Amino acid sequence: MVKLFKSIELSLIIKYALRDLSRNYKKISSIIITLFISLFILSSILTIEDSLKKELNDNAKALLGGDLEIDYNRTKGNQELIKQVTTFATVSQMIEFSTMLSTTGRDNNKSLFTRIKTVDAKYPLYGEVKYKPEGALTRIHQEKNTILVNENIFKTLKLAINDSIKVQNQLFTVVGVISAVPDVSGFVTFGDFAMAGAQTLELLQLNNLGSFLNHEYKVRFNEQDNPNVITARIENLFKGDSKVTLRYPENSASGLKRVINNFSQFLSLVSISAMLIAGIGIANTLLSFINQNNMSIAVQKALGFFSLNIKAIYYLQLLILLLIISIIAYGLSFFLVPIANLYLSQALGLNITAVFSLINFIKIFLVGLLVLVIFSIPTINAIDQVQASNLFRNVFQNVQFYYSKKSIFLSLVLLAVLMLLFTIGSARPAYSIGYFGAFFSCLLIFFLLSKFIIYCLKKLNISSNISLQTSIKNITQAKSITPITIMSLGLGVTLLLTLALVGTNFKREIAKSIPEIAPDYFFLGIQNNDLDIFKSNIIKMDNSVDLEVVPIVSSAIVKINGIDPNSYITASNDSYWVISRERRSSWVDSPPVDNPIIDGTWWDLTKPNRLQISLDAKVAKDLNIKLGDTFTLNIYGREIEGDIVNFRLVNYRDLSINFAMLFNPQYANTIPHEYLATAKFKDVSKFNESAMLELLPSLSIIKIADYLSKVTAILNKVFIAVTLISAITIVIGLIVISSAIIVQGKIKEFQNLVFKILGFSKKEVILSSLIEFVIIFCSVILIAVLFAVIGSRFIMQTIFDLVWKFDVTILFYLASSIGLITLLLIMLTNLKYLNPKVYPLIRNQ
Amino acid sequence: MSTLLSLKKVNLNYQAGKASIKVLQDITLKTNNKETISIVGESGSGKTSLIMLIGGLEKATSGTIFFQDYEITRLSEDEVSNIRRKHIGIIFQSFYLIPNYTAVENVALTLELNKFNNPQKQAKELLDRFGLKHRFNNLPSQLSGGEQQRVAIARSIALKPELILADEPTGNLDSENSKMIADILFNYVKDEGTSLIMVTHDVKLANRAKRKIKIKDGKIV
Repeated sequence: MVKLFKSIELSLIIKYALRDLSRNYKKISSIIITLFISLFILSSILTIEDSLKKELNDNAKALLGGDLEIDYNRTKGNQELIKQVTTFATVSQMIEFSTMLSTTGRDNNKSLFTRIKTVDAKYPLYGEVKYKPEGALTRIHQEKNTILVNENIFKTLKLAINDSIKVQNQLFTVVGVISAVPDVSGFVTFGDFAMAGAQTLELLQLNNLGSFLNHEYKVRFNEQDNPNVITARIENLFKGDSKVTLRYPENSASGLKRVINNFSQFLSLVSISAMLIAGIGIANTLLSFINQNNMSIAVQKALGFFSLNIKAIYYLQLLILLLIISIIAYGLSFFLVPIANLYLSQALGLNITAVFSLINFIKIFLVGLLVLVIFSIPTINAIDQVQASNLFRNVFQNVQFYYSKKSIFLSLVLLAVLMLLFTIGSARPAYSIGYFGAFFSCLLIFFLLSKFIIYCLKKLNISSNISLQTSIKNITQAKSITPITIMSLGLGVTLLLTLALVGTNFKREIAKSIPEIAPDYFFLGIQNNDLDIFKSNIIKMDNSVDLEVVPIVSSAIVKINGIDPNSYITASNDSYWVISRERRSSWVDSPPVDNPIIDGTWWDLTKPNRLQISLDAKVAKDLNIKLGDTFTLNIYGREIEGDIVNFRLVNYRDLSINFAMLFNPQYANTIPHEYLATAKFKDVSKFNESAMLELLPSLSIIKIADYLSKVTAILNKVFIAVTLISAITIVIGLIVISSAIIVQGKIKEFQNLVFKILGFSKKEVILSSLIEFVIIFCSVILIAVLFAVIGSRFIMQTIFDLVWKFDVTILFYLASSIGLITLLLIMLTNLKYLNPKVYPLIRNQ
Repeated sequence: MSTLLSLKKVNLNYQAGKASIKVLQDITLKTNNKETISIVGESGSGKTSLIMLIGGLEKATSGTIFFQDYEITRLSEDEVSNIRRKHIGIIFQSFYLIPNYTAVENVALTLELNKFNNPQKQAKELLDRFGLKHRFNNLPSQLSGGEQQRVAIARSIALKPELILADEPTGNLDSENSKMIADILFNYVKDEGTSLIMVTHDVKLANRAKRKIKIKDGKIV
């Protein structure tokens, strides 16, 4: 660089770079397009992710519902302590529970399992509730038996304002519809909910486990107070109370943040694949551009330019181009935020707005720069091959990619930096590394495949068909684009086919789980004295019902081997949910059929007075629990110590009755408990929800089909986004192929001219292109299908623990569509080389 | 007159597979400042190779070449580029203007490279001197052959080099344009006292040089 500044001012290099760029941008349009598409995808992912996170962080207090939340779970908690808090802060009491909500007085009454929030007049402490009509929120505080429902309940139950609905055995008047609440962090994101006044609790029976009762106290500090001091004061007040959990704004929506992180990591990896494929195209186009400028470079050298100066001009042009494209791509990604907001405000009640982030912009620019530099090193180094002496000889040889040991080393270092950029700070670094490993392995295999095809075709001795001969010659010639075509097409197709296979397998698994494994209904909150009524009523409705009833008790893990697990297990742990709050557990005499024991032994009958625990093997692994470890459980306020005696393989996705913890019945039968039941009907239409609720008003009924349809709807939206991004990867791959054809353009033109002179017909030339395509595409598709099968099988079986099946239809449709589009593109790009003008070519003009 | 260029026992071989082709053999040559030299000979005799060696665009297989006090046979490619940039102007048979630069930009290129003040103005003055005032902002594709060569000459003399190397400067032109280009070239070297080494097949043009060197089979005869 010292030499550079000594010999030529940087300003001069900038001037030449700008001038060249302004006059040559059409020649490098494919660089501009591929770079823009890939940077736009990355920008969109980062911008939407950032906007979402900012919304969550900015509204952390609103999402939590206060500056702090005191959570007593199922119990009302220590009212004396709460009273003390009210002396220095505002406290709003909120009780959430789940119950059945049904229409009444119709021929076909409908019911919905709903989460109801009872709030006092101080609610919300932060943010606002969006509802209509005006005054409805005040009415639920002032009038008894009034309720607000969310838009989905309103639509599903076909309600009108002032209609009556039944909650358990009480009639309520629907006074309004809620479109959004601020404190969504506690809600199941796709669940239905309703809101009622605080007095509602007195009207309902909400002491059973099926109600999922939760007592929360939201606290808002006085503005003049120091939040840290008040927080410390509250922590100090509650430090002796083992039943309480204190939550802070930074913990709000942690589950949602995790989902966002995982999804954005996945999409980022797909987008970097698109960028790396684009890199191949960039290298091609740049090489073609340098070859077009071969004479100009030679003249510059003859005039005394150093090679380094010329390279600097080319690098600078790329840098300027990248800067402009990054700004445009990042700027345009802001327009996607309102579109994303349409879905998010509906699904989560969040309102996101585009947020400018310098760090994100720098990251986008840096990713673009790394990809550009990695792929342009061997191309721009080719400038060294251009000789000024060519000007005397009037002979310009096309330059080739130039790799030196130094440039290979530099490229590898930059590639490692690029990988680190996507790995460090990602939600799951190991997955990122694995993904990059798989990506480069595929790339290498496709490269080797291209060499293998070339090798085999060279060995082939065909003299009968001239078109076939020509196509083989085209594939095997020294400057053939075969490796580039195979690599870019192969990677794009592999990505799309893998995602398509994962998508269809997912849909099939969800669909088939309803008839094959899952029950039709879950029944929660069956009290001891209601059990016989429940059973007889179900059997009366359908005597062939497959009914499974298990006892349940609620317990919280307060200590593991004598230590509070919250002191060393973080919320990022996959099994944090087991220790985060009270969980339902059950007990059985013999191991469940679908929960096989994988370590340890079943109950030790010689110790009936000691609590024995059977634990989910994955939970044990995540929390590092060994056989013989002890859990201290809080059951109805009593701390009971139990030993871990075995681990079970639990598959929660089968939607049958599954528990993380099972107890030994000899001990657990002495604990006060209620029941949970599942029912699979021979004829599901025989089950009458309303009649069952008339009989047992406090019963909660969950229809599995309703629950699954919501999950499927969400998954469908996710897969549309994923498929769209992988389709864009294919588009980039196609641009890369067309750029590779353009690199060959001059050679192709000469070749076709010679063919013309020799008397070839256009038909024969087209046929040779067709054969060329068929040979390449067939081998690519075979390998791509193989990789897609391996990849999708790994994702389904290892990551999601689901059944994988080969779907030939989707592969056939996708493969033939991609093939057709690629063929069309190759034909279109070749079209202009089909009619070479003889005179300019033979006169070397 | 002082020595501008000195070649001593210069050989140039090309490798064609296993065979070595002797392009130039034992060339020894001295030229002085302000001297005009024409190099003549049959096609393939080594004329162009000789001026390529003199311009530092090709490396001699053996022997030494001095330009002024610089032994260019021992210098790196970049160092030779530096000498070429400051002291040598080259004119090609096929003009070789940068296709996407205008006439003015082509001429200004060398001036800018050497940090001259107001390169555009100087380039325009030069083009004006060669009767191309109306072609300042035209691209090479919009110029005739004669006009292109005049731009190329303007580019090569923009820095007032001590030496001009011209390879068949009129080879691609008709007789009228050839005469005009020859006049421009010889008038310029006469006015400015520049040395000229020119390869040509044109006997008339060759005879306008003060000294004529004939090359046959890679040797000066």
